Amino acid sequence: MERLSSDHSLQQGDHENHNVTWLNFRGSWITQSIVVIVIRLTLAILPGLSPEVSWTLTNLVYNTATFIMFHWVIGTPFDHNQNECGNLTLWEQMDNGAQFTPTKKFLATVPILLFLVSTHYANYDMAQFTVNIVSLLIVLIAKLPSMHKVRLFGINKPYPD
Amino acid sequence: MADSITDPLLLALNATLTIASRAVSAVPGSSIAIKYIKASHQNDPYRTLLEAALVAFMVWYYVGTKHKPGSSDVKLTEKEIQELIDEWEPEPLVQPLTDFQQSELEKLPVIIGSVGGKPKFADGKERLNLASYNFLGLMNQEFVKEKAVEALRTYGVGTCGPRGFYGTIDVHMQLEEQIAKFIGSPAAVLYSQGFSTIASVIPAFAKRGDILVADDGVGFAIQKGLQISRSRVKYFKHNDMEDLERVLESLRVESLKAKQSPARRFIVTEGLFANSGDICPLPKLLEMRNKYKFRLILDESFSIGVLGKRGAGVTDHFGVPATNVDMIVGSIANAFGSAGGFCCGSEEVVELQRLGGQAYCFSASLPAMLTVAAAEAIRALQADTEVLTQLRENIDVLRDVLLRSGAGLPVIFDGAPQAPFVHVRLATPLADREEEERALQEVVDEAARNGVLLTRAKYVWSEELNPPRPSIRITVSAALSKKETEKAATVVKEAIKKVLKARK
Repeated sequence: MERLSSDHSLQQGDHENHNVTWLNFRGSWITQSIVVIVIRLTLAILPGLSPEVSWTLTNLVYNTATFIMFHWVIGTPFDHNQNECGNLTLWEQMDNGAQFTPTKKFLATVPILLFLVSTHYANYDMAQFTVNIVSLLIVLIAKLPSMHKVRLFGINKPYPD
Repeated sequence: MADSITDPLLLALNATLTIASRAVSAVPGSSIAIKYIKASHQNDPYRTLLEAALVAFMVWYYVGTKHKPGSSDVKLTEKEIQELIDEWEPEPLVQPLTDFQQSELEKLPVIIGSVGGKPKFADGKERLNLASYNFLGLMNQEFVKEKAVEALRTYGVGTCGPRGFYGTIDVHMQLEEQIAKFIGSPAAVLYSQGFSTIASVIPAFAKRGDILVADDGVGFAIQKGLQISRSRVKYFKHNDMEDLERVLESLRVESLKAKQSPARRFIVTEGLFANSGDICPLPKLLEMRNKYKFRLILDESFSIGVLGKRGAGVTDHFGVPATNVDMIVGSIANAFGSAGGFCCGSEEVVELQRLGGQAYCFSASLPAMLTVAAAEAIRALQADTEVLTQLRENIDVLRDVLLRSGAGLPVIFDGAPQAPFVHVRLATPLADREEEERALQEVVDEAARNGVLLTRAKYVWSEELNPPRPSIRITVSAALSKKETEKAATVVKEAIKKVLKARK
């Protein structure tokens, strides 16, 4: 476990990073909720899928997609302050690195609620339950404030220094 | 016993639970929650426990207060704030000088009139100047002054603007052309301050995420340039080409593994090191640069006008075409006795700095008279390299006097034999830096009493990357004749002998 050098935190400054501000719009929250519902409904329509399987797939799709988007891909699509955030994930760039902001609270709550709802409606066997809970735990751990700028297993580490 | 509970403890517990369940059912919506828990319980208490934990996590995350990791915003009460204010004692705006600083201030020489080869002191005596970077003796030369005055009458005092903002005049462009021709590069760009030239050239090219490989003995201006570029800086041991290769090789291996787009990569070093007088091994550097595909930024602030057959610096010294070095940075404040600096390179390298060189874009351009003075100095050197011969003779004489007969002196001299300045350091380090500085200052004072102006090399110790050991920096100048240099060197030798013997 290794934290990125303080150099990055020192310089993460006051410039508004337009690569992440869109996440703070209520519209993007609503869009995300709608996307989750659409995924669930699509999977429900597909023939041959039991409710358990379709709930598991909903969880998996949501968790995997958000994990890749928020915690795996680093950098910014559009240059920001000499590529200041080149080594940071989207989650770390959000709100200039501040924790417990409304957007982060919303995004942390969605997968938990999704899981709780799914366990309520589905009758998981052990294997499915494990898949669901593990994928949930992975996205939750990545969102912990203590994991800010922490690089596990050398993933996304800029260079071996 | 079986149908009635008699244990008072159990009875109390039962009663409490009953009241609690009534209270819960009284809460609106509680039946839904209970139904939900019953449904998802699925006869598995662990599952319910886990879900409760998830809800607890959610609640914890929800009540968390917004903060930035690493920032320690302590909220103080009014009382605590008042206490802190009462305790506070203002520090003086300017700290009282320490004994060392006080003595340093008192020891500063007071000079009447202008500085040259033989400045006049406040006591009315002339002393031989071995302290100024007046290598070619161009400082205060009449023919330079005449041109400068002429320029002053034509163009006025300042330019009142940066180069890109009404600050460019014809003499700037002429000087740029002249410098480019003198060095042998396609183009040159002129800066207004010698110090900020290299500190501006480095960050003009190297940005965040780029790689700079620098010698760890570089001077202060380069250190600042490396710092403000926000690039990743790797240092190699001073003039150690094997160590440079080790660093470059490690970077090559790393870049093979890296997923990121390749960074811009530069080797940064000094032609003639201000802090040691060493000359960089340019041919080997170029070989490394080509092998590992780096660019080379070479600071020639002290070698321009001194090294090489034409005095065109390290490239001239090694007989390498100047076009082989990507960026040659030089100062016209040292050997050419004016002010400002320049960067030579390809057209692209130069044009980029006209938009991206901070000191070029945001600093008022070089006053016309200084520009013309520099042009005149370079012209004089180009017309007649006799002055270089004179300088080299003086260097040889100085090293001869101090080294040949200096075997007995308890000091060490470093630097290349071609360097126009020598750092004299104590052979055995003293207890601490200040002590050493004091001993060297005594030598300086003793020399001043005998008619030679010397200076210690002065640094901001706390800011230096690798603070060099205290030294007296003896500068050779073509403004003095061979005889005068010999005389001055003898005075220095005697001063070292006398002072260091007395201290034993």
